[in-house]
Amino acid sequence: MSTVIEIKGDHQGFKEDVETTDMALFVRTSDEAMYGWDRQKIVDALIRETYVDVDTAKEIAREVEDLIATSKIKMITAPLIRELVDTKLIERGLEQARKMHTRLGMPLYDVDQLILHPNKENANVPHGPEATNLTLAERIKKEYALLSVFSQDVADAHMRGDIHLHDLGFIDRPYCSGQSLEYIKRFGLSLPNSIAMAKPAKHPEVLLAHMVKFAAALQSHFAGAIGWDSINLFFAPYLEGMSDQELEQLAQMMIFEFSQQAVARGGQAIFTDLNLYWEIPKHFENVPAIGPGGEFTGKTYSDYLKESQRFAIALFNVYQEGDGSGRPFFFPKPLVHITEKFFQTPGHMDFLYLICEVASDKGNTYFVFDRGETAKISECCRLSFKLDQTDFEDAKQPWRMRYCALQNVTLNLPRIAYLAKGEDAQLFSKIGEFVEMAVKAHLEKKFFIERLLSLGERGPLALLAMDRDGTPYLRMHRASFLVGMVGLNELVQIHTGQEMHQSKQAFKLGLKVIAHMKLMLDKFSQRYGMRFVLEQTPAESTAYRFAKLDLKFHSPQSGHIVKGDISKGEVYYTNSTYLNNSAVLNPIERVRQEGLFHPLIEGGALTHIWLGEAKPAKSSLANFVRKTFQWTQNDQIAFSPEFTTCNCCNRTSRSLRSSCAYCGSNDVDGITRITGYFTKVSSWNKGKLGELRNRYRNQAFLTEKEGEMELVVNTK
Amino acid sequence: MGLIKIFTKAHCPKCPAVKEMGMVLKKEGVPVLNYDLDTVEGLGEASFYSILATPSIVIEDEEEREVVSWRGVVPSLQEVRRYLLRGIS
Repeated sequence: MSTVIEIKGDHQGFKEDVETTDMALFVRTSDEAMYGWDRQKIVDALIRETYVDVDTAKEIAREVEDLIATSKIKMITAPLIRELVDTKLIERGLEQARKMHTRLGMPLYDVDQLILHPNKENANVPHGPEATNLTLAERIKKEYALLSVFSQDVADAHMRGDIHLHDLGFIDRPYCSGQSLEYIKRFGLSLPNSIAMAKPAKHPEVLLAHMVKFAAALQSHFAGAIGWDSINLFFAPYLEGMSDQELEQLAQMMIFEFSQQAVARGGQAIFTDLNLYWEIPKHFENVPAIGPGGEFTGKTYSDYLKESQRFAIALFNVYQEGDGSGRPFFFPKPLVHITEKFFQTPGHMDFLYLICEVASDKGNTYFVFDRGETAKISECCRLSFKLDQTDFEDAKQPWRMRYCALQNVTLNLPRIAYLAKGEDAQLFSKIGEFVEMAVKAHLEKKFFIERLLSLGERGPLALLAMDRDGTPYLRMHRASFLVGMVGLNELVQIHTGQEMHQSKQAFKLGLKVIAHMKLMLDKFSQRYGMRFVLEQTPAESTAYRFAKLDLKFHSPQSGHIVKGDISKGEVYYTNSTYLNNSAVLNPIERVRQEGLFHPLIEGGALTHIWLGEAKPAKSSLANFVRKTFQWTQNDQIAFSPEFTTCNCCNRTSRSLRSSCAYCGSNDVDGITRITGYFTKVSSWNKGKLGELRNRYRNQAFLTEKEGEMELVVNTK
Repeated sequence: MGLIKIFTKAHCPKCPAVKEMGMVLKKEGVPVLNYDLDTVEGLGEASFYSILATPSIVIEDEEEREVVSWRGVVPSLQEVRRYLLRGIS
């Protein structure tokens, strides 16, 4: 796309010309054609894009023409003409018209940097032409969102860093989604705009192919993760009669298909979550099973326990092996639901040992705790959708179980504490204001998405509007609107002088803040008939962005508060409601304490247990998981080991090292969990690097016992 | 001296019974703190004790350690008194 205008001839002659078409000025426009100068085009643009009257538009066009004619400019760009017009609008006080007339784009320097250097805002975006396309498009859409989708006060709150509007570059999509394999099993792969329609799969390999393609299509319509419910169970009717070897082959295909860098959006691997169960979830026990060809098999899902379990085992055997270099698979993420029924289902201990062995060895396993009657579909780094009574009704026809979060807005909690200056009343009042701003942002995004959806299957969100079962694929009435938080620990520190792990009083203030946010969101949910919920935002770059902005706006106080190394620019705020990453705490106590926040955070929460180079025994982790389920309210835990992968000999060793443990090469890369997924450390932003250096890896609570490493589980 | 913490909500059928129990104990000189889960203070405090159901009662000793709790159930006054004698001196 070129935007160069060349001025031919001398300027004096140009000025004296009356007819603009005679001017020796050529404009190279975005369709790369050369046009002669035509003042009327300025008038047309002003009339088309703004509410300016014709006379004013003509006046402005003439003034801009005079300015160009009298200037000594030899080369002029189309954006410059637009800027000149904008200055004339400003001179007349026509601020709204200037905003409407704004051109979106990027400076040449920025594009150059972007093409040459990797983007570190999201470690899941590789560097390459496709990724550059993604980033360029994102930049324009981000500007569009801030100028056109959101109101000025919401956009300003984002720019100031009071709040963070996530995935602005994906403004024309919802945030993330959870779905059921039953949809494609029943309806086949019949996507709007697709050139071929596939009938329901008859073979497991074809079902897998449909799943991968549908996931890619969904990735193009959601900003974030794509979660799949009870995947081992829903595959089960296709697996009857398969040998262990065949099952493992299928499991391997599934994991490699989802883990290798796809040719999909921006070269990104699809952020995929596989929800797995050892038992038959209660709500699917009596549901008629769908098998090959989309036909009901005449059995219920209870009859497929054996196949479902065998497939779960096969998947974990593949995770255990790792990829071709022995590295952990970054995607798809396996989330195993630990329920009361899990512990009542025969064989659970062997399975628990297997998934704990994978957790210790490779770190893949996420342990999701569904206590009592709770059932969830998990996705993203920690987001989950809790099923309510209407969902259990839908469960009788599982293809109806489709969920989404429309947007995520995160609050800068430390900012609130700086502004409150130690006053309780101010603190809670400001929290209210920030929450209200987040709600306003959600209302505006919802309005925009509904506009796109209203265009139906001929509109830009055709896939989400497609109707195969009497309801559009995206069920707006079940959408969640997420409000996240960054730096609760620092808010408490600024307000009380102590961090949350340092005193009961400080900890209780943290709980009060989150309780306040939850109660406010409950009220807004009632008022608007929408589902506003708290979520622990993964905040991969937001925790860094907020810290940097507060160093700018709330210095010198913020200099004593932000975590990390200021001299290296590796600064961050503690994520969401977490306790300080570097605090020396018994891991089960950290899980318990952080878990006290989880019932308030309905959108999903997680506690990390950083393992460093340690590899605890599977029995020790199994004991830890069981105690977490029984003794705490924690929603989800993940154990995170660290690795070094060698770019020279392609081997992978334990712990983060500066050189390869096998060949000694310095060409190595670290691998560990950044937020809710594993990735290479070289792709991390500075804030996350600061956090990585500070992470407490539980050394004092890892002991050798009878030749095995044990993670100590003591509670008060 | 330790104390009793009572957690209730406005629309909870069993809560009035527990509130009444709290008033009786208060008259007897037992320190009683009432928390409403529909308020910030109440929900924050309830979260600290992992209270997910109402009504709930927590008895603490002098050092704010939990002695016993009833969650989502209404114990008898005698039962509460028995623990008070054990836990609070």
